[in-house]
Amino acid sequence: MGTSDGQVLGATRIVEAGPPEKRWNVAIVSEGYRSDEMAQFATDAQQFADVLLATAPFDRLRAAINIYRIDVTSTDSGAKDPKKCQGGTGAKPRTYFDASFCSNGIRRLLIGNNGRVLKVVSKLVPQWHMAFLAVNSPISGGSGGSVATFSKATGAIEIAIHEMGHTAFGLADEYEYYSGCATDKGHDKHSKSEPSQPNITTNKNRATVKWRSLIQAATPVPTTSNANCKNCDPQPSPVAVGTVGLFEGADYFHCGVYRPEFDCRMRNINRPFCGVCQQVIVNKLTPFLP
Amino acid sequence: MVARKSSRKSKARKAAKKTSKSKARKKSPESNKAMRLTFSYEGKNVKLLSQQRIEMIVPSSDVLKGYGQKGFWAELKSERDKTLYRTVLHNPTKNDAEVFPETPGGEISRQPAPKRKGVFVVVVPDTAKGEEVILRRSAPETKGPMKGIRALASKPAEEILRFKLKK
Repeated sequence: MGTSDGQVLGATRIVEAGPPEKRWNVAIVSEGYRSDEMAQFATDAQQFADVLLATAPFDRLRAAINIYRIDVTSTDSGAKDPKKCQGGTGAKPRTYFDASFCSNGIRRLLIGNNGRVLKVVSKLVPQWHMAFLAVNSPISGGSGGSVATFSKATGAIEIAIHEMGHTAFGLADEYEYYSGCATDKGHDKHSKSEPSQPNITTNKNRATVKWRSLIQAATPVPTTSNANCKNCDPQPSPVAVGTVGLFEGADYFHCGVYRPEFDCRMRNINRPFCGVCQQVIVNKLTPFLP
Repeated sequence: MVARKSSRKSKARKAAKKTSKSKARKKSPESNKAMRLTFSYEGKNVKLLSQQRIEMIVPSSDVLKGYGQKGFWAELKSERDKTLYRTVLHNPTKNDAEVFPETPGGEISRQPAPKRKGVFVVVVPDTAKGEEVILRRSAPETKGPMKGIRALASKPAEEILRFKLKK
């Protein structure tokens, strides 16, 4: 169990932009990789770095970002997969960070010992800003929070980048339901309280809305309205992709709250970040540019 | 003539001094210093675990005025309680979880996860003026289908923790 089941080997800077005290530093930590699998982790970490730096707006911020790979071996490969969750195999590999699927009884909720992860990262990369735990398992899963955790399943890196939107940039979820459009109860109308997150709003006033500088004069405001608040709005976008406006439905509610574009990485993990989220990220990282 | 030259030099020196002062304001030596604050949470309780001084740059502050009422954020305060820095957090003390689809293109959803606990980190600038840090969080609903779920809290955020920064 735990730190007796592996070894911290060290940190390697795989993307270099400058001294760590002047750049935004990302750390990718290995979990469930045996010592003979560390070459695979190096490949996986590089793939993650490549995807991240090809994602807008990080593609324009390369000069601000260092990425570190933190090599930690485990006795066994993979992550725990308890049988108490449907589909669980019952696997109990001995790994350094004790990552497990089925956290809180949710099969795809994959969490490691985040306190232990942050301790290792702080020791090796004291100037870290964002930490990821890369789990060597093909099963779909992940989680957000102080450490964004992801597996090797298809699309897992996209999940990790969505989670980074929350952890590093304070972005809200832009999807308009909680457990699902078909199953939601009590998610018809958002409260009137204005959310603190920069990418959702209850304010319909074009002149005062948070992202007013990005709304073109010709764009209607609100841009979409949900005709039936008992359900998610089924209408397609009435405007071109990339148009910033006010689209009803976000923050787990069908009505009364608006997102800035029809779609966004914070609504759907396979989409790019919308213009407002990109602006937030650029503003946050501008001090790290040379 | 000599007097005019001397006056020109003096003006140039003053201008240089002004520029250097303005540069200093834009990027003081303090702007590379940060305090990393680590917290633990379990249930509704949040506790400060450590304060670590680090030589590093802090991301830009979120807006200090005209921001939202609900959510979760940290503020760096001066001695006179003026907000010097503010960072909005996606509630790090959630008692539910984001669950991703098995297949790409599927819906993300959320499920209650009442036993969640763990740690989270906030980084604030380490400046001479910064005295205290406060955390604000909206309280969850007390009845109805959203009862107790912090991600769905809609009330204005209230102070849940205030402490002095170590000097």
